[in-house]
Formats: sequence, C-alpha cells, structure tokens
Amino acid sequence: MLRSWRSNDVEFVVVGGVGAVMHGAPVSTFDLDIVHARSDKNVCRLLLALTRLDAIYRGQGSRILRPDARALLSPGHQLLSTNAGPLDILGQVGAGRTFNDLLPNTVEIEVDGATDIRVVDLKTLIEIKREVGRPKDLAQLPTLEAALAELGDPHDPP
Amino acid sequence: MPSSTPPHTQPPSPPQEHSYDTNGVDLTLVRWMISLTPTERLQVLQSNIDAMTKLKHGRRKS
Repeated sequence: MLRSWRSNDVEFVVVGGVGAVMHGAPVSTFDLDIVHARSDKNVCRLLLALTRLDAIYRGQGSRILRPDARALLSPGHQLLSTNAGPLDILGQVGAGRTFNDLLPNTVEIEVDGATDIRVVDLKTLIEIKREVGRPKDLAQLPTLEAALAELGDPHDPP
Repeated sequence: MPSSTPPHTQPPSPPQEHSYDTNGVDLTLVRWMISLTPTERLQVLQSNIDAMTKLKHGRRKS
C-alpha cells in the first residue's frame, strides 16, 4: 500500500502503531494510520490511490460508502477498509496537528530497499499519544518511551 | 586468565540485569526490534497480524 502511494506521489506521514514499529518499538497494530496533506492536488492523488485500493468506510454494515474529496479535505478521520487492510486517514491528529505541522518532525525511512516512507519521529509520536490521551494510547507509552531511550537521538535514522 | 573453578561447578551466569525497565517493558524485545531493519520490523508486524488472524478464526475443539 505504502509503495503504491509513493509512486502516485501522495503526500502523507505515517503515524500510529505502524510508525512506532518502523522506529523499532515492539507494539502491535491492525491498521495503518496516516495524516495526509489536505491540498486539492494531494486529495485528488489520494482519491486515485484509494480507488485502486477499493477503499470503503468500515462499520457501515451492508452499505458500501466510499470516501470523497469533501471528506478528505476535512480534518476528520476516515476509517476505511481496503484490499490491503484497514486504513485510517486522519486530517489531523493529537492537538490538531496537520500534515504541515508534522512535517518538520518526520524522517524518511527506506523500506524494501527502494521506497522512502515519511514517518513521524518517535518523540513526536509519543507527544501525539499523550495529546490524544485515550487509555489505549497511554498504555503504549512505556514501550514507546523505552524504544526512544534505546535509540538515543529521535532524529537519527533507524 | 583461566578460572580456578572447574566449569561444571561454576555458578550459573547471573540473570540478565535490566531486562525490564521500571514500567515492566521488556527491553530485550525493544533491543531486538531496533536491531532489525525497518523492512524486517514491518515483516514481523505482518507476521504477527497473520498469526493473530489465524488464531481469531480458530475453532474451539471442546
């Protein structure tokens, strides 16, 4: 999924559990969380990528509802099922952090020897979890903080 | 320098210190994940998800 998005020039940042794993934190997650740039052009590219993934909203019973530009331009969370697994597209995270807010605190991580994926750094990931403050986010903090401590400088590429 | 005590009578190595931090986080697991490449880390995650999915769909026998 991530590889195809990069080839479609979709601007996004990986956050959440997958982001933590990419930094080396031993956590589990079942979905991919991303924050996307909410420009008209990027939403257009994102919609094309989502069409290829056959993305529909989760939890709609028998109804098939697909995301549209209006939804992706909003700061809301789009919880989707795709042919590559569950995907959460977040207009903003934590205390209202948008793609542009997150960008200075991201690193590019090479995956599969060919694809660079932009991921929020671990220190910022921890801050976001604190800002969200749900029990499940707070429960992960000890593990994330231990990984951060083992890594040293959070801006060092893993 | 060779030990004066024969190997089979030497006390066992002390248990690994600092395996857990004060929050109970298994640091050996953290260090292992960090030793992997990002690609390998994602493969571990995918493997875990696949295993959990299989378990979730398993059938109780009794």
